[in-house]
Amino acid sequence: MTWFSTIFYRNRRLLNFSLAIIIFLLITVSDGVVRPFLGNIAMSIFHYPFSELKSSIDNLKNIAEDNRNLKNTLTETSLQLSSLAEARRENHRLREFLGFEPPENFRVVPVKIVSLGLMGHNQYPIAAAINKGLNDSIKINQPVINRFGLVGKVKEVMPEFSTVQLLTDPANAVSARIAESRQFGIVRYSPEEGMIFDNLPADATINKGDLIISSGLGGVYPSGLTIAVVDSVLSIKGEIKKSIWLKPSADFFEIEELYVLESVIE
Amino acid sequence: MRVLPYLLYLFLITFHSIILSDLMSILGVRLNVLILIIVLIGLFKSDTEAIWFGLSAGIIVGAARLDLMPWEVLVITVIAVAVKQVSSRINLESLASKVVVLACSVFLHEVIITLIISTEEFFFILIRYILPGTAYTVLIGLLFFLIKDGRISREKFKALF
Repeated sequence: MTWFSTIFYRNRRLLNFSLAIIIFLLITVSDGVVRPFLGNIAMSIFHYPFSELKSSIDNLKNIAEDNRNLKNTLTETSLQLSSLAEARRENHRLREFLGFEPPENFRVVPVKIVSLGLMGHNQYPIAAAINKGLNDSIKINQPVINRFGLVGKVKEVMPEFSTVQLLTDPANAVSARIAESRQFGIVRYSPEEGMIFDNLPADATINKGDLIISSGLGGVYPSGLTIAVVDSVLSIKGEIKKSIWLKPSADFFEIEELYVLESVIE
Repeated sequence: MRVLPYLLYLFLITFHSIILSDLMSILGVRLNVLILIIVLIGLFKSDTEAIWFGLSAGIIVGAARLDLMPWEVLVITVIAVAVKQVSSRINLESLASKVVVLACSVFLHEVIITLIISTEEFFFILIRYILPGTAYTVLIGLLFFLIKDGRISREKFKALF
């Protein structure tokens, strides 16, 4: 035993080399037994845990990627859904408008509002820019309506756009009449009083809920367009005039689709 | 000879080759951690450790492709032993000599394994992958040597700012 230990320690390097060469030769020669055996051990101890870890990381990456894609798809779908809902609402409004008969000798040109000009906080808009202009045969002073009634008139025309002066512009006044009694007056709007019916004869009969329509006088608006209904009437004894407040037929806070009335008579 | 640190080195080599290699590659140029560790063991450990670690590393790396296992075992063990022999005979002390040994080892390993796998487009692979990969590994090795020699330390780093 002592002899063996002495030889081992003296020739340790040689033994190491010899053993390493034997293992190498075994690996090289025995490609059917030793190599797969060693490969199997190395794979199961060293490679397998990290391969599993890598596949888990790849799975997580794929899940994260799928998640990102699904979120994108969800956002796109939500956008599509909201645009579909908006289209449905628009479709509903347009269907309602289908029953509308334009005044005689007029045809309607549908337009969209591009922007609104507001007078001040919590006030009605006084002007609206629309998406059609000179190139679409829009002309100054053409009446503009929506499905509820008269909205205003075209004030300025550009090649691609136009501006509409709404009834809520204090500078805009419309010759109107009471639908029932046929008496004339002027509809105008002031920020302090709201929409009022002015210049009515002192003896005129007017009640709350009466319909106010355009008279056709003045040459801008055709007759018979709905403007407003009487909201309240105030008669003060001793005063000749009556104060009449109107509720516009069109909700100026919610105007969307507008229609320009184009005369078919040149 | 304590076995545990060498087992950890072997785990580090497989961990790098399976997981870190892709993450640490720069434009497809990969760090050769296997040869870096082999050279470090050849430089700083005994020849027994160099032989057995080279042999084990060769078997583990070759397990992924059994046909390459003898070549991997041969090349890696020879590199480990050669580095040990060179470092013990020439008594490598300077940083430059260690870096040269590392560069030669990485380059030889990459060239031999590439030639064994395929000789097609060898020069393209040499220029595109082997030389930059050698430079990348040498750079990391250089950093290691600088830290090991104390030329880069936390105090010196702090003193810069």
